[in-house]
Amino acid sequence: MTVTDEELVARSIAGDTESFDQLILRWERPIYALAYRQIGREEDARDIVQDAFLRAFRALPGFKGEAKFSSWLYRITLNLCRDFMRRARRAPFAPTPEGRDVEDMASAERSTAESIEDILTRQDLSRHVARAMGTLPEEQRSAILLKEYHGLTFQEIAELQGCPLSTVKTRLYQGLTVLRRELDRRGTGPERAEGSRTP
Amino acid sequence: MNDPRYCGNSDILMSYLYEDGDEHERRAFEAHLQGCGRCATDAAELRAVRKDLAAWTPPETVLDFRVVRDPAPARSRWAWLTPPPLPAWAQLAAASLVVGVAVGLSGLEIRYDQQGLVVRAGWSKPAATRAADASTAAKPAGADAPWRADLVAVQEQLRNEWRQSLPVSATAGQGQASPIGSGKAMSDGEYMARVRQLIEASEMRKDRDLALRLTQVVRDMDTQRRADMARVADGLGVLEGRTGAAVAQQREMMNYLVRVSQKQQ
Repeated sequence: MTVTDEELVARSIAGDTESFDQLILRWERPIYALAYRQIGREEDARDIVQDAFLRAFRALPGFKGEAKFSSWLYRITLNLCRDFMRRARRAPFAPTPEGRDVEDMASAERSTAESIEDILTRQDLSRHVARAMGTLPEEQRSAILLKEYHGLTFQEIAELQGCPLSTVKTRLYQGLTVLRRELDRRGTGPERAEGSRTP
Repeated sequence: MNDPRYCGNSDILMSYLYEDGDEHERRAFEAHLQGCGRCATDAAELRAVRKDLAAWTPPETVLDFRVVRDPAPARSRWAWLTPPPLPAWAQLAAASLVVGVAVGLSGLEIRYDQQGLVVRAGWSKPAATRAADASTAAKPAGADAPWRADLVAVQEQLRNEWRQSLPVSATAGQGQASPIGSGKAMSDGEYMARVRQLIEASEMRKDRDLALRLTQVVRDMDTQRRADMARVADGLGVLEGRTGAAVAQQREMMNYLVRVSQKQQ
């Protein structure tokens, strides 16, 4: 039987560090993905993951369980990303270095199913999406990341961003519209994509 | 069909697109899409953007964060000599006090005249001047200075703070193990144990990194091999085609020669 986050949190507060290790194991990948997509640098994203868990560990006694543990962790991570970007005074970007993408993207199960052309096409699209996401304001980008890649509900995002539900939807709509325009401009947009999908 | 309830309503469009929100409303919007080309195009294009977003994956990385507790430092028998850590403001006040006293004792002189800006400490003055100064300053240096009272007050406040913080930090330091990184002194043995632990962790991380790199190299080689194989197959195909063409040409030539020789006969 899988132990819930709430149970692991309670045990961690009681001093069981192994339970917190389990929470780390459970959430380090999503947190890394969120941090990476926010700031676009692998090393910095790793640092932010470490910092996020460290902060969570220290603040655990004050965690009342009003929100889900994951939402709380996402909030810490987004705050750290915001601090990082302010400190560094740079916009996010995700330039995966040349020559490494095929390795990164051609994981064992994919390499058997996808041809090199597929991998390269996806790599290209991935780079375009990353660059297009980098043009979005922080709130829109966070809203899209939390909805698209982490499956949070509108309500959860609204609580996390501290804004009304309708604002979240507006941010999503505006963000997606900008992405559509950006991807169109780079020639990888929905029109081309749709065209290539339809037989 | 244009419907002001739905057309240009991003709220409903987002609820429909992400299937999050009132189901009745979403169904109504779906029905609206059947008759409204503009909304249908909008929805289709945004759905395509969502599909493109799925292509963006973060690179693989090694994440093995664990909670590591520092061993609780054993109390040295000289620990009572070590003062408890002071708050930042107290340290700043102490530093100001030291600088103030040093400036007072050195008899710092700052003058700006025709010779320019002159900054001189008491001991760097000529002997004659120093003697003159000594005679004029028979009373203790800065005894009537206005900052003297302030310094005494700060000194007193620091002492009080120190006295108050002593029992609290002494009791807190014994029972409580700092979770991650405590500022207490460690013995040599503990340092060595900690260093060994860190080295082991580092070696493990390097091993994992190496394994990951090896896997990536193998994967890369495999990808390259498949690309090479495809290229070789293409090349062979081309060669085969050329060879076939050459053979056909030779056959035609032979036939021609045979025909010519038959005619001559």
